[in-house]
Amino acid sequence: MLRPRIIPCLLIHKGGLVKTVKFADPKYVGDPINAVRTFNEKEVDELIVVDIDATRNNHEPNYKMIANLASECRMPLCYGGGVNTIEQLERIIGLGVEKVAISAAAVYHPDLISQAARRVGSQSVVVVIDVKTAGSSRRPEVVTHNSTRRSGLDPMTFASRVESLGAGEVVLNSVDRDGVMKGYDLELIDQVRNVISVPLTVLGGAGSHTDLSDLVRRHGIIGAAAGSLFVFKGKYRAVLINYPNRNEKDAICSSRP
Amino acid sequence: MIKQGYQICCNCVMDTTDQMIVFDDKGVCDHCNTFYQHTLPNWHTDHRGQEELDKMVETIHAAGKGRDFDCIIGMSGGIDSSYLTYVAKEKLGLRPLVFHVDAGWNSQIAVNNIERLIDGLGLDLFTEVIDWEEMKDLQLAFFRSGVPHIDAPQDHAFFATMYKFATQHRIQCILTGANLSTECIRNPIEWMYYQSDSRQLSDIHKRFGSHPLNTFPLTSIFWHKIWLPYIKGIKVLRPLNCLPYIKEEAKQLLTDRFGWQPYPQKHFESRFTRFYESYWLPKRFGYDVRRVQFSSLIVTNQMTRVEALENLSHPSFDEATIGQEIEFVANKLGISIDDLNGYMNLPKKTYKDYKNQRQLYDLGARAMRILGLEIGGKR
Amino acid sequence: MIALVDYGLGNIQAFANIFRRLGIRAEPARTPSELLQADKIILPGVGAFDWAMTRLNESGLRETLDELVIQKKIDVLGICVGMQMMAQRSDEGTLSGLGWIEAEVLKFDTTLFKDRTHLPHMGWNDVTPTAEIGLFQGLDLPRYYFLHSYYMAPIKPADTIATTDYGIKFTSAVQSGNVYGTQFHPEKSHQWGISLLKNFAEL
Repeated sequence: MLRPRIIPCLLIHKGGLVKTVKFADPKYVGDPINAVRTFNEKEVDELIVVDIDATRNNHEPNYKMIANLASECRMPLCYGGGVNTIEQLERIIGLGVEKVAISAAAVYHPDLISQAARRVGSQSVVVVIDVKTAGSSRRPEVVTHNSTRRSGLDPMTFASRVESLGAGEVVLNSVDRDGVMKGYDLELIDQVRNVISVPLTVLGGAGSHTDLSDLVRRHGIIGAAAGSLFVFKGKYRAVLINYPNRNEKDAICSSRP
Repeated sequence: MIKQGYQICCNCVMDTTDQMIVFDDKGVCDHCNTFYQHTLPNWHTDHRGQEELDKMVETIHAAGKGRDFDCIIGMSGGIDSSYLTYVAKEKLGLRPLVFHVDAGWNSQIAVNNIERLIDGLGLDLFTEVIDWEEMKDLQLAFFRSGVPHIDAPQDHAFFATMYKFATQHRIQCILTGANLSTECIRNPIEWMYYQSDSRQLSDIHKRFGSHPLNTFPLTSIFWHKIWLPYIKGIKVLRPLNCLPYIKEEAKQLLTDRFGWQPYPQKHFESRFTRFYESYWLPKRFGYDVRRVQFSSLIVTNQMTRVEALENLSHPSFDEATIGQEIEFVANKLGISIDDLNGYMNLPKKTYKDYKNQRQLYDLGARAMRILGLEIGGKR
Repeated sequence: MIALVDYGLGNIQAFANIFRRLGIRAEPARTPSELLQADKIILPGVGAFDWAMTRLNESGLRETLDELVIQKKIDVLGICVGMQMMAQRSDEGTLSGLGWIEAEVLKFDTTLFKDRTHLPHMGWNDVTPTAEIGLFQGLDLPRYYFLHSYYMAPIKPADTIATTDYGIKFTSAVQSGNVYGTQFHPEKSHQWGISLLKNFAEL
């Protein structure tokens, strides 16, 4: 039986791992390779690694670092950050990465999605949708470039569109809930879940294993991603890589509807 | 075949790989004699130890009144700091903040153990993560310098960070797992020079490092041996010296209570320290720290000399897996395996080849001993 | 020596790392002469069928592979798209497959899925071996990571050596003589994957 996926999401900034709050105030968390190794030992389902500088600063993905991460990583790896051409995407897949995520490119060059699906297959094309409640109407809107640019696009319509273009997975990321650790934006997730049938992974807000169980109880097969939850511990946000052990994971995954 | 001039203590297992060792006419080394004559008479784990503990607890309670926590415990995930944390919370009724410094080399077991203890004892954790690029650069500088004490950066960072935190948050009491039970006999200076000597650290970095140390925490002998304790009143306390501490029993208790995982050897909570102590130091310099550790256990009756000799007859590292360890360390430091092996063949240097504050330490240590403040055996 | 066919796709390094930790000799093979030194072969794969077949055909290794697998009957293990390529054809593309197994590759029928999520089949799923032998020696209730939208349908039922449920019960591992394949990624499936790869090495 297919299980829900529980996925740590690591952010890379200037070569080091960081954690943000609402996409701001990056706090240094350590060396990415060490984190990957620790997650290996914890038998994590899969891993998402995002370079948060690449798109905003308009530079190439750091292929050497990606190759190192892919080589160390004993579970499936999804890389995102600074990818906007088919050549970059193919190159990253060639380095041993299972999935490549695009975000700004999906908004501004959506034909990249279908191009990539034809070459590397939909299963390796992930579209990350960063959502922020913006504007005077406080409606959720797709944002890019580390939440510095507004697209004017509605997340549901956009999610549906990227699916039809060939995306194999959608990662729905709530900017407002990033690092806050008070629960996922379940309403937004419901809305997006209802309009797509590709695998959906959600990120932003998970603060405890209960948040993961609640999500699984509501949606069954889904990807529950988290950054702060798996990197921090306790009220002082002490950096300590953690992940549910086998029993805890079984308990979360069996909360299915 | 025994090397010319080779001698091993007939009581413990320290030998002439400690270049400064001195034997009496019975063949007993100065480490043992110092222990029996100076350390043991002043080391109390009975009712006198209990009294000292009670006094400690009073001091800590007073210092922590009205605050979220009353002391900080430097936690590495190793047996000493882990057991100390348990004792502090459950036996002494203290409210410690557990403090961990992540220098980038945490073994998986260490991370697990810290988590289990925090969860099992219901304690708060604070971590400080050292900037990896800086740490890496400093460690490589130490390799290039040719000295034996290449683990100084990690140790230095640990203490400097903890002291800095204590100062910033005006915490009076720092608890450490340092203990006589397993450390009464200390590593000779020639093997492991004082990690807190920032003059040495800076000099080595200046000569062999390239990445500026912008955030790397630096302490100095003046700061943490004089300023902090005597001017700021920050006390570093060692509760494990006041109660009977038998390592094997402690390990069993932590395993049973919290699912704590033991390490194959002392200090293996850091993968670098493991590489350093089990492979680098013995292979390059012939310094086997097991000798020191076992000798402490011998004089405290936790191990027999026969057992120690038997253990020492086996290599300190696993031939089958050392290749992987070397590869791991090289990859992590961003150098090739050949480069790392190359450092093994550099001319051997000592702390004396670089700027240092050794004299200051000696002065200080003598003064402390005269004042009866230090009963450990480091020379 | 296990040859890891390096035609630019699939995580060669992940396989290399696993075999190195197991103390089993495995090397990337980029040229026919490197391939000819192999006692066993692993054909990894990620990506769309036609793209992968094109890269394999252009790698210069095709002839040697056919010779080793079809004539010399060297054990070969295809992974994911690597397994699918061993079939005769695929719904996903127009190119012919390697034809090492009598099978075709079909797209999942999405009307059979009850859950909201359909394709690709993504995540950890249970694999039920027909017998705990060969690749699955000592593996009781294993689970592996899947990432695909197409599956192999062997003509001969006996070629199926493990099945997995996803809408239908599909073939998740095959064996036809010396030709083996897994739809899932053992190189990314922690200890279950490591055990399977060790079993392959010890066949």
